[in-house]
Amino acid sequence: MLELQGVSKAYAGSPALQDVSFSIEPGEIVALLGANGSGKTTTVQSICRLIEWDSGDILFNQNPTRSSTDYFRHIGAVLGGCRNTNWRLTASANARYFAQVRGFKGSDVLANITRLQTQLGLDEHAQKEVMKLSTGNKQKAALLSALGYSPELVLLDEPTLGLDFTTVNELQTIIKSQASEQHQSFLITSHDLSFIENICTRVLVLDHGRLLFAGDIAELKAQMFSHELKLAPLTPAQMESIHSLWEGRFQIRADEQCLSIQFDTPAQCLPTMTYLHEQQIAPEHCTINALSVEQAYQHLVAEERA
Amino acid sequence: MKLHLITNELRLAWLEMRQYWFETVSAMIFILVMFIALFYGIKGFVLEDDGAQSLDGLVFGFLLWTFASGAYGSITKSVVEDTQRGYIEHLFLCPEGVVRLLLCRALADVLFSLAILTVVTYLVMWLTNTWLGINLLQFYAVLLLAAPSLVGLGLIIAGFALVFKKVETIGAFLSIGLMGLVALDGLPLNPLTFLPFVPGASLARDWVLNGQPLDYLSLLIVALNSAVYLAIGMKVFAVGEKAAKQRNLIGQY
Repeated sequence: MLELQGVSKAYAGSPALQDVSFSIEPGEIVALLGANGSGKTTTVQSICRLIEWDSGDILFNQNPTRSSTDYFRHIGAVLGGCRNTNWRLTASANARYFAQVRGFKGSDVLANITRLQTQLGLDEHAQKEVMKLSTGNKQKAALLSALGYSPELVLLDEPTLGLDFTTVNELQTIIKSQASEQHQSFLITSHDLSFIENICTRVLVLDHGRLLFAGDIAELKAQMFSHELKLAPLTPAQMESIHSLWEGRFQIRADEQCLSIQFDTPAQCLPTMTYLHEQQIAPEHCTINALSVEQAYQHLVAEERA
Repeated sequence: MKLHLITNELRLAWLEMRQYWFETVSAMIFILVMFIALFYGIKGFVLEDDGAQSLDGLVFGFLLWTFASGAYGSITKSVVEDTQRGYIEHLFLCPEGVVRLLLCRALADVLFSLAILTVVTYLVMWLTNTWLGINLLQFYAVLLLAAPSLVGLGLIIAGFALVFKKVETIGAFLSIGLMGLVALDGLPLNPLTFLPFVPGASLARDWVLNGQPLDYLSLLIVALNSAVYLAIGMKVFAVGEKAAKQRNLIGQY
């Protein structure tokens, strides 16, 4: 459906995207991860042709998007921030307006908008202009506009920004059902990695405009450490001794008196526990935590940079 | 221009006007008050024999200027306000292209302007007791023929707005300049003919107000003037759009 082929973009000589290639198939929910300035928004804006990329190509249903804007009929977008709706209109009036801008109108579109409005919990705010809605409901209104005409591909740039836990859960349910029942594809950029983990079938990781990783969540997790042991305070000698006890895949960081070790399986830290017990070392802080996807992702990026 | 885009923009204009009826009514009252102050101010000095004719010209000129300001401001207002209000990026996702969408919006605004102009015309004539013997259909036909030149001007300013963002000074300068443009005589062919909207305003005065026979050469001049300024406007906007997309400026404010 959507295919990026070696897309590159630079601003004043500084690269924003470097040879980025990936594709999205119908019904897929794909996450685009990366820190601020990694190129996520530039990627979304390139797909929407809001920026001119320098080289490479973007294909939609095998047709180059540079030569035609007809593919806009088949994409919906919720862009970053609250820049998606006319604040003077109600949510459904916005959805009708943007559907007709894409060339869709009639009873089917209206029925779809009404169904989605109910599903998004916007019925009770049906008479309010978007400017009078809360942040979460503004985001829902933007989503209603993006989904109203059932586009094949929906681009969501930071869709959970400012949303509470309940609304995020509702959003997950809607995206999942749209993908499975309507076969709509989603490309989602977000810093909320638990949100991504719950709904995405595939993950793309960008860093400084380069695609670091493309695969499913399980693959991404397999590349990252799952646990972290933190010990503090320790002397330099103790730190060195502990280092020698570790086997397998792990990563040690020592900051002043604090030792932090990331590793794959809980069994890997048993020799360290035994050592502490035998040497009667009782650090004030001794914690073993399962790493969240977010922490693990940050370490992956740091590792790649190193 | 596509019909579905025009009906969509008409609906949007209607919804916004209905939603903000107070704004719509107060804008109309402002125009009326401004004109009445101007009218009675000038009337005090016009005591010659042709005084009545001067006042007719004044009323007619005011109506022309009201229309011209609306037609010129439609696109500029769209680009600047939608950048600030926050959904201009989505206008660029129109499959027919943003220029066509803006042209449809301008047409919708012009049609609404004509409706408002009709109300203002009769109110002005009633309040000033200066009844112009004009055929409104003829008047609107000339205005619609000449309006693309103003839309072209709007596209030029909107093209600048995409790149430079703050264009209020040029916009204000042009709004005042329109007062001069509607007063100039661009027919028959003379150097002033090449200014935007000038031949259109002249044709309206000659044919609609003064009852002179319709000259088809003048009609052609008005059409050419409109076509040239619209083409220039579309070109400047396209250049601005390309520059804004290269520098990632669409929507930045």
